[in-house]
Amino acid sequence: MGKSYPTIAFYPDRCDGCNQCVEACAEFHSGTRNPAHSRIKVSQDGEEGAFFLALCRQCGEPRCVPSCPAGALKKDIDTGVVSLDESKCVSCQLCTLACPYGGITYNPITHQVMKCDFCDGDPVCVKACPRGALELKTGSDIYNGWGDLEDLFVPGISACQGCNSELLIRHTLRRIGPNTVVATPPGCIPGVGAVGFNGVTATKTPIFHPLLTNTAAMLAGIRRYYNRIGRDVTMLAFAGDGGTADVGFQSLSGAAERGEQMIYICVDNEGYMNTGVQRSSTTPYGAWTSTTPVGTVLRGKSRDAKPMALLMVMHNCEYVATACMTFMEDYYAKLEKAVEAAKRGMAYIHVFSPCPTGWRFPPSKLIEVGRKAVETNMVPLWEYEAEARCIDFTHPVEDPLPVKAYLSLIGKYNHLDEEQVAHIQRKTDERIETLKKFTREGDVKPIQDAA
Amino acid sequence: MARTIVCDGNEAAAWGVALSRPDMVAVYPITPQSSLAEYISQFVADGIIQADLMDVEGEHSVLSVLQGACLAGARTFTATCGQGLAFMFEPYFRTPPLRLPIVMSIVTRDGITPQCVWGGQQDAMTVREAGWVHMYCENNQEILDTVIMAYRIAEHRDVMLPVNVNHDGNYLSYGVEKVEIPDQEEVDAFLGEKNTNWHAALDPDRPMGVDPLTGGAGGLGPALFVRYRKGLCKGMQNALGVITEVHKEWEKTSGRSYAPLIEEYRLEDADYAIMTIGSMTGAGKDAVDAAREAGERIGLVKIKTFRPFPLQALREALRKVKAVGVVDRSVSFGWNFGPVYQELLSAMYFLNRHIPAVSFIGGLAGADITVDHFNRVIETTAMALHGEVFSEPVWLNENDQSPGSDRVSQ
Repeated sequence: MGKSYPTIAFYPDRCDGCNQCVEACAEFHSGTRNPAHSRIKVSQDGEEGAFFLALCRQCGEPRCVPSCPAGALKKDIDTGVVSLDESKCVSCQLCTLACPYGGITYNPITHQVMKCDFCDGDPVCVKACPRGALELKTGSDIYNGWGDLEDLFVPGISACQGCNSELLIRHTLRRIGPNTVVATPPGCIPGVGAVGFNGVTATKTPIFHPLLTNTAAMLAGIRRYYNRIGRDVTMLAFAGDGGTADVGFQSLSGAAERGEQMIYICVDNEGYMNTGVQRSSTTPYGAWTSTTPVGTVLRGKSRDAKPMALLMVMHNCEYVATACMTFMEDYYAKLEKAVEAAKRGMAYIHVFSPCPTGWRFPPSKLIEVGRKAVETNMVPLWEYEAEARCIDFTHPVEDPLPVKAYLSLIGKYNHLDEEQVAHIQRKTDERIETLKKFTREGDVKPIQDAA
Repeated sequence: MARTIVCDGNEAAAWGVALSRPDMVAVYPITPQSSLAEYISQFVADGIIQADLMDVEGEHSVLSVLQGACLAGARTFTATCGQGLAFMFEPYFRTPPLRLPIVMSIVTRDGITPQCVWGGQQDAMTVREAGWVHMYCENNQEILDTVIMAYRIAEHRDVMLPVNVNHDGNYLSYGVEKVEIPDQEEVDAFLGEKNTNWHAALDPDRPMGVDPLTGGAGGLGPALFVRYRKGLCKGMQNALGVITEVHKEWEKTSGRSYAPLIEEYRLEDADYAIMTIGSMTGAGKDAVDAAREAGERIGLVKIKTFRPFPLQALREALRKVKAVGVVDRSVSFGWNFGPVYQELLSAMYFLNRHIPAVSFIGGLAGADITVDHFNRVIETTAMALHGEVFSEPVWLNENDQSPGSDRVSQ
C-alpha cells in the first residue's frame, strides 16, 4: 500500500470567520499576529456565504514542486509535508500560480512566498480554532500501520473492478495475520480465486470452501480441536449474505448459541451477486434483482431486508457490529474489538458491501455509494459489546440526507416510483428509531433482558 | 481384563467409540439412534470418553463440525439415521472426496413417507453411492468390534475414506445381548497413532487452500478432477483388502472372528442360497438350519461390506450355487426391487455367472423378518432353482396380520 499522511480537515459549517487560526499561524511563524504572515487564509463567499479555506493540502503529487525553477520545494516522503527551502527560493511566485488551492501565497512584508509547514506535526491553527472547524486527521497512522503488515492475499485476482470484497479481504487479513484459518463459502470471494483454481490458491493463510450452509459449524470444529491441543488459532469467515442470512443461518445461529470462538464477517452485497444477481433475504425493498425483476406487474423486491446484525445481537454474541469500507477507520476499530471478542466467543461483523456489477453503478463510485448509504441512514454504523449490553452508534448521522441521495446513485433502484421511495424512507427512519431504543439512552435495556 | 456386560446395540457402539479414543464426538438425537447419542454424551460427562462433545443444532452441523475438526487433525465420531441422514446429506457426500476418515454409525431406519420411526435400511441404502465405506453388523458384539475396526480402515493411508458402521434400528439398537468389552490397552495397541489429515489440513503451520475450484471446460481442471475421482475409486478398491486385513488383525487381538466382506454359511454342498444383510441374518441362519434338517441343500450368504462392493468375494460363493434369493430391507425405486438384489445382478454379469435370482423385500418400517418369512424365502428360491421365473419382488410382510388388526387386511 502507498503511504498516507495526516491532514488538516476543514468543516465550513462550523466556521464563523473569527480568524483565530490565521492569527495563531502568523504568531507561530513570525512572532506577530499580523495576518499577512499567516499560511492559512479564511475567506467568505459574499457577506452571507460559506467560509472557505486556502491552505496547502500537502498533495501526494504536488504541482508546485515541478513548477519551481530553483528546486526550493520538495515533498518529504517521511512526513508528507511539502517543504519550502527559503534559502533557494528566488521569489518568482510561479508556485502560487501552479497551486490550485491557493496553498502558497506571497508575503508582501517579507517579499517571499510562504506555505504551511505543518508546525512539526502539531498545527497551531487546529488548536486555535474555538469551534472545531479544523481537525487534525491522523487516520493515516492507522493506514500506514496496517500497510506495514503483510498482504496475505495475492495480487492479480479476478475480482470485478471496484470490488468491495477485495478491499475488505486485503485489509482484514493484514490485521488478522497468518495464524488464521479462513472459511469462505461459495460465492464471489472464492469465485475470484481466494481458495483457488485447479490446485493453486490466492491466499497465504489456510483457506477453504465450506458449504454455503455450514461455514460457522466447520470453523467451530476446527477451533475446538485447536483449543483441545492448546493452540490459539484465529477462525475467520468471509461469508456472503446468502451463506449467512439465508441457507447458512441455522449453522451460524447454532454456533453463536454455543459461543464458538470466531470472527464471522458477513459480506453483504444484498443478494447472490456471484450466481447472477438473485435476491436474498438481505436484498432491500424495491431493489431489482434477477429474481425480483421489474416488469409491468412486479416492481423489484416486495419485502424489506432481514435485520441480520440485530438478530446476531440476540444470539449472545460477544461482539456485533455493522461496517462500511468507506469508513475504514471505523472498520479498523471494530476489527480490533472483534479480534479480542473472538477469544471469548463469536464476533460478528456485518459489512455493507456495494457491488458495482450487480447493483449497476460505476466502479469508481464504490466509496461514494458507501458514504451515501451511511449518510442517509440506510446503513447505520453501530456496534454491540456483550459487556455493555447495548448498541452504540459509531458514526451517528445527526441530519441524514434523504434516501434518494443514495438510491439515485444505483441502477438497481432506477425504476422506483415515489411510493416506493417513500416506503424506503419510512423504513429507514423506523430502523433508526428501533436501533436507538437499544442504545444507552434508549428505553429498552438491557438487551438480554429484553430478549 | 476384558469384561462382559449386557447391553443394547446403541450402547455397544458407544463402548466401541469410547475405546477408540476420539477427540471429538458430535451428537444430535433421532430415533432410533437417540440412545446412542445419550450414551456418548453420558460417557463424556463421566470421563469415559475424553472428547469434546459438540452438542449442535442439527445433523448438517454434526457432520460439518467433524469435517472441520478432522481437517485440523481430530479423530471423530457421530451417529445418525433416517431423516437425520437426509438432512446431513450435503456434507455427507462431500466427506469421501475430502478423504476425511470420519466414523459414523447409521442406526438404520426406514424412510418417510408414510411417517415412520422404525427400522429398515432405506436410509443407508439410499446413500450407498456417496463414497462412504458401508459395513452392516449382525449383532451387538459385532457393532462394538466394527466401530473399533472402522478407525483402522478409515485412517489407513491407502484408504482415507469415511466409514459407516450400520446396525439395524430397533432390532439391534434396542435389542439386548451379552457383549464383551476389550481392554483399553489392547485397543490402543490395535489402533496405533491416529492419522486424519496428512493429506489435507487446515493448519497455519502448513498453510494450504483446501478444496479450490477444480474443473471447467478446458485447461488442467477436468483432468485434475478425474484424478480426484479416480483417487476416490482407488481408495474404495484398496479398502477391500484393508478391511480383510484389519478383520484378521482384530481376530488376533480379540479372539473374535468375523467375515470381513461376505460370510458364507453352509454353502459347501449347497444347491441354492439366500442372501441377507444385517440383523435378519440370525433368523435366516435358523431357517437354513431347519431346511437342512429337512434335507434341503441350502446355504446363506451374508453381506457385511456393501461398499466397496465385494465383487470378487462373491465369485466363490456364486460358483457354488445354482439359484439365489436376496432379502432386502429397502427398495430401489425405479427398478422396484431391493438394492442388494439389483447389485447382485450386476455382479453376476461381471462374474459371468448367470443363475436364477429372486428379490425379497421385508422388514420395512420395523416389521419383523421371522423364521417363517425365511421359510417362504427358501421355498420360493427353491422354485426358482427348479425353473420358475419371478419377475417381481416378493414383499414378505405384505400379508402379515396381527390379532385384532383386521382393518389392515380389508
